[in-house]
Amino acid sequence: MKEFTDTEFMICQAARLLEDNKTVFVGWGMPQVVALLAEKLYTPNITQIFEFGAVGPQSRLPFLRGTMGGPQNTYRSLQWCSMALAFSYAQAGYIDYGMLGAAQIDRYGNINSTMIGEDYEKPKKRFPGSGGGNEVASYCWKTIIVMSHEKRRFVERCDFITSPGHVIDGKSREELGLPRNTGPWRVITSKAMFDFDEKTKELRLIGVLKGFTVEEVVDDMGFKPKIADEVVELEPPTEEELRVLREEIDPYGLIIRKGRVIKLD
Amino acid sequence: MQIEILSKGEAEFHFIDPDDFREFVRDKKTRDWKDKLMDEKEAIKKFVKDGDYLAYDFSSLTRGPQSLIREVIRQRKKKLWICAKFTLLESALLAGGGCVEKIDVGFLGFGEYIARKVESGEVKVYDWSNGSITYRLLAGAMGIPFIPARDLLGTDTFKKSGALAIRDPFTNKPVALLPALNPDVALIHVQEADIYGNARVYGPTVATLETAMASKRVIISAERIVETIEFRKEPNMTIIPYYLVDAVVHAPFGAYPGGTQGYYEMDAEHYMKVSSIKTEEEMQKYLEEYVYSVDSHEEFLEKRVGMKKLKELVRKAEILEGFR
Repeated sequence: MKEFTDTEFMICQAARLLEDNKTVFVGWGMPQVVALLAEKLYTPNITQIFEFGAVGPQSRLPFLRGTMGGPQNTYRSLQWCSMALAFSYAQAGYIDYGMLGAAQIDRYGNINSTMIGEDYEKPKKRFPGSGGGNEVASYCWKTIIVMSHEKRRFVERCDFITSPGHVIDGKSREELGLPRNTGPWRVITSKAMFDFDEKTKELRLIGVLKGFTVEEVVDDMGFKPKIADEVVELEPPTEEELRVLREEIDPYGLIIRKGRVIKLD
Repeated sequence: MQIEILSKGEAEFHFIDPDDFREFVRDKKTRDWKDKLMDEKEAIKKFVKDGDYLAYDFSSLTRGPQSLIREVIRQRKKKLWICAKFTLLESALLAGGGCVEKIDVGFLGFGEYIARKVESGEVKVYDWSNGSITYRLLAGAMGIPFIPARDLLGTDTFKKSGALAIRDPFTNKPVALLPALNPDVALIHVQEADIYGNARVYGPTVATLETAMASKRVIISAERIVETIEFRKEPNMTIIPYYLVDAVVHAPFGAYPGGTQGYYEMDAEHYMKVSSIKTEEEMQKYLEEYVYSVDSHEEFLEKRVGMKKLKELVRKAEILEGFR
């Protein structure tokens, strides 16, 4: 029997998607761990960019939460620069991948990390806001969104659109002035993986974690997504991935131990 | 030719006409080679006023101006409008001290306490993003009224910000215009400064130079005060030239409980203590113990942190590559 957290699954699935010899804009928390795992196992020549102004650091293990900008995650960088420059690399087209979390997502991949509720002035729940998320979602060629799979998180229209998806209130990215041919590329959840329909730009289910069914996944969403003709079975984390995550990258379980435990025979 | 305005964010925003800023720089900022060394108390008293727009750099975890922030709280400054780009606990502590009225949000940390302040409407927030706030500071630093950029477009973040979208006359596509940001005062912690205000930092910079250039008043706190010749020996390393700076504070461990590259690591325990504050009572207890009941940064370090802890944090800062 294999036991892992859904966070571990999301991290592994995201790491498998990255390509070697590309650049990736890395955000706080889980994306840092994804980049570390990818660098260790799959993409040794990927260049990580951090918004605070580190380009191409060689990561030090173990991962310590809270080291955003400190010596641990700026170690042996190729360049230290400013935030304006870091985002400008992305705005000018140099950054291939971006990775973001979200509190809510809608049919077109718009994401909310700002607030829950109907009244902006009196939010039911306030989150940290965009951070660099809006820039990552606006500028990177391909954005990967990693989030927990819960019904309340998949909504027809986000309570607040913090960062842009493919279509906002009927307008396409290009109509809105966002850089051409950019946008969310994959959504990885704790149970499934989605891409976006080429024509309609709607969220489309393309993979389901082994042990779950398409129905279970769709039932756990606030709207019905498009479903690919062939939905693949997503492999759970491999022994090697789990070993590297648990022993080398995050032995204190700061990130990977969060979330629900999944048991597979 | 008329430029077409497509949409407009609804937020009020802090704005200074570039000509007014230039005149302030001409008349109120000195280019004298003057000894600007003073302590936290004097610097904050002289240069931070109630109602000011306050910016700071880098982050809560790394090279943040924490001794200066604590002094702002200690002096019970009021009605500040703060620029929360890439910061975590400062916004919560300043709100806890009753210093803050408005926050421009890039990233609004830290945790439940500040979230509740926003949910209850006690603190007013304006949503921008880290990138748009930083570009606004860049425009402020360049002395231009606004800067075009391709973020925020189409989102609710745009609607709640003070940005404009226009049809760009060069490409005929929509583009966002971000108003320049010229803070009233900036607090910046650095590794090394001289008594005149020349300063350098080691490590990434977030918006160290842009924030200093854009702000009317600049208070630098430094781990170490060095001779001016140190800057002349490695001019590439000078981030802030002296004529941007109004006050220099010698503040060893000035970023505590955060770390400073090449000097000491952050105090993870203390950081957890701050980030786990949820209620008003817990916040006031914290502020009483660590801010109000001590008179200065020195007393804070002596009585509330202690040599043993400081030694441990210095011990942990083993990575020096690039930081000296």
